[in-house]
Amino acid sequence: MDESQLIARVRSGDSAAERALYDAHVDRVYRLAFRLAGDDALAQDFTQETFIRAFDRLGSFRGDAAFSTWLHTITTTVVLNGLRKVKRFRQREADIDDAHEIGTVHRQAEPDLKVRLKQAIDALPEGYRTVFLMHDVEGYTHEEIGAALGVETGTSKAQLSRARAKLRVALADFAGEWTI
Amino acid sequence: MTDQHEDPKFEQWLKNVADSYHAPRTTPRDEMWAKIQHARRHKHIIELRPWMGWAVAAAAVLVLGIGIGRWTANQSDDGSRVATNGSTPSAVPGSTPVTREIDSLAGVAYRIAATQYLSRTEAFLTSFRTDANRSANTARLARQARGLLATTRLMLDSPAANDPRLRSLLEDLELVLMQIALLNPLEDGHDRDLINQGMNQSNVLPKLRSAIPAGPVSARTQGAL
Repeated sequence: MDESQLIARVRSGDSAAERALYDAHVDRVYRLAFRLAGDDALAQDFTQETFIRAFDRLGSFRGDAAFSTWLHTITTTVVLNGLRKVKRFRQREADIDDAHEIGTVHRQAEPDLKVRLKQAIDALPEGYRTVFLMHDVEGYTHEEIGAALGVETGTSKAQLSRARAKLRVALADFAGEWTI
Repeated sequence: MTDQHEDPKFEQWLKNVADSYHAPRTTPRDEMWAKIQHARRHKHIIELRPWMGWAVAAAAVLVLGIGIGRWTANQSDDGSRVATNGSTPSAVPGSTPVTREIDSLAGVAYRIAATQYLSRTEAFLTSFRTDANRSANTARLARQARGLLATTRLMLDSPAANDPRLRSLLEDLELVLMQIALLNPLEDGHDRDLINQGMNQSNVLPKLRSAIPAGPVSARTQGAL
């Protein structure tokens, strides 16, 4: 059965077809949510919300683009909006922490590559980070990214290039590892 | 211009090392599917909750009552006019107010739903603050927060959220409830403090309380009617 037939069955209320559609796409949705959120509970929450919205709004899916493209548009919207809310909350917490730490001197431990990489990716602007993770880590094409984020393919390419440039600078201490 | 720093060796190395960034575990398919099914059923149940059914029924009775009252009032007005003018009323008056009241029925029901929900959330957050030092209650609080979180999201998607002030409050509540829902029962002391500090900073409880009409819940509900 091809996907359009499966979608038609879901629309007609076939719960087995709903599960089949979910099974066909859940891995990619969850992986992307996890890569962006970095937290299993949040990734699960975002994945569930993505599918709940997708099933509720399946009637508005016209089939002009692939179902996966439509689904990933919902995924990125759910995840990025969710992360903005969490970030806002954590910022409040960080402000409180900063207020408590005035006058405290920290010694920065020498971080390893994994830690430095995490810091560098986390420090990227949201758009750069999203495109970088979707393309270089999860293997989405620029066309898929453009459709999911509602930007031109060229914008996706440019943001990826800028993300890599920023990471190259941030990880310059490890240059020996890629120049050999 | 953006290609000037491209370096295939760096890009390949970056792809390799970045694979460890937020590396996902195996997809918990069945676990998430069960939650999706539950949430979809829950959404349906909320729409048909007994108190909402009561509210809608009560509002419908009220609307009908208003309509009949206005219709009979207009009838008697017309009757007096008949007596004075000596003519017969040609149309049944009162249809416009009835239509207007029916149009506002959905808004009334959502206001009642919002009042009930805000009252429950106020009670829950107050309880959370007073229980802040009792780690034994964490699992229960997280479970309750998840339930309220689901309702919050439904409220955000409902016409109740058309009010910008209510929407802003719901968004703040969603954030707080999400944090409580994610509390770890083993390591929660610091996290609880942070949530409480966040609530203090954003004035969630005062905003919540000011959004709820004064009086006990049942009276508030009736007040909305």
